[in-house]
Amino acid sequence: MVTKTEDNQLNRLENQVDNGGGEAWEYLCLVRKLKLRRSEKVLRHGLSILNDPKKRSSLGPDEWTLYEQVVVAAMDCQHLDVAKDCIKVLQKRFPESKRVGRLEAMLLEAKGLWDEAEKAYTSFLEDNPVDQIIHKRRVAMAKAQGNISGAIERLNKYLEIFMADHDAWRELAELYVSLQMYKQAAFCYEELIISQPTLPLFHLAYADVLYTLGGLENLQTAKKYYASTIDLTGGKNTRALFGICLCTSAISQLTKGKSKEDKDKSQVQSLAVKVLEKDYKQRAPDKLPQVTTALKGLTLSS
Amino acid sequence: MGLGFAIGVFGVLILFHAAYATIQYRGLLKITEEEFSGPPMNVVAELLLGLFFCMWAALAVPGKFLSIHPDSEENRIVSLPANLDFMIFNHRGKVFPGQMDLKLRH
Repeated sequence: MVTKTEDNQLNRLENQVDNGGGEAWEYLCLVRKLKLRRSEKVLRHGLSILNDPKKRSSLGPDEWTLYEQVVVAAMDCQHLDVAKDCIKVLQKRFPESKRVGRLEAMLLEAKGLWDEAEKAYTSFLEDNPVDQIIHKRRVAMAKAQGNISGAIERLNKYLEIFMADHDAWRELAELYVSLQMYKQAAFCYEELIISQPTLPLFHLAYADVLYTLGGLENLQTAKKYYASTIDLTGGKNTRALFGICLCTSAISQLTKGKSKEDKDKSQVQSLAVKVLEKDYKQRAPDKLPQVTTALKGLTLSS
Repeated sequence: MGLGFAIGVFGVLILFHAAYATIQYRGLLKITEEEFSGPPMNVVAELLLGLFFCMWAALAVPGKFLSIHPDSEENRIVSLPANLDFMIFNHRGKVFPGQMDLKLRH
């Protein structure tokens, strides 16, 4: 989870590090803590630390964590020779380590040697059949080969055993969305909302899926979840505000003629419009006229 | 921090003084052979003052209060972590090789 304060801190550090202002290690720690994918920057700044013997030895045991971080970043940037060199160093330090073995298998994956990687992972699973990360890597491998339905099958099998793994639920939801299987995706997002009810982004994603599904009932539920997103973010999520407006106009188009609860609906919408206009006026004044006309079109059609 | 701590020390001193005054008062009662019905007014006032100061110090010294509102800046979640366990390397970055001079030197 990345909160607003952490986001600001990250941006500040990123700027500072990119302009050569030092604190590269702090930046790398923050990226690792927040689990972000900044492979190019991690590779550049991580390598510059690793290539400097003085800086490297001052890290102490954290040096090896940095090696691991750089290996993954290097594979992500297709600098396979760098990854290979780093793995060699790690192997020398930790012979027969499972964690290093996993990195090697990932290197096979990055090279595109799927069969060999699969073989390596299967042998890991024989040693320890409940290794969650290996199971997840196998899912990712199926995804990387373009076999999305196979990935879904594997992930479903995995989730039967490890039901509390919300990262896996999220991945499954995203896979379903990519295949336009919205009903199944909605189920996954329900599961995620139950496990982390205070996370507004899952409410938002669930509402998006329901809105895409369409139909009066789904639209009404979607609107409620957009509203709960607004509640949890204090009205600072622009997407949820737009979602409320779109849902209201879609609902009123469906219920044209039987206008019973129109008053209540238009109030929520007009409040959302007001907040949106205020937000745009503050942050992007040159786009305000476009937004105003678009929103006006929505209210008129409803 | 310094001010809060000083106030706390002052509050504890006042409490000690209240205890001392009470003991003295009971000694005086024994001499005049009267019944003890309650502490005198100045001790009660000291106790209230001491309580207030100690409470102030307890709230101010240990540290800052953190927000518990889900929509405050510290708690408001703006993005989810990248799902790194499911990271794949078979993406469009493959076609765009980055800097070529990167190398691990030992």
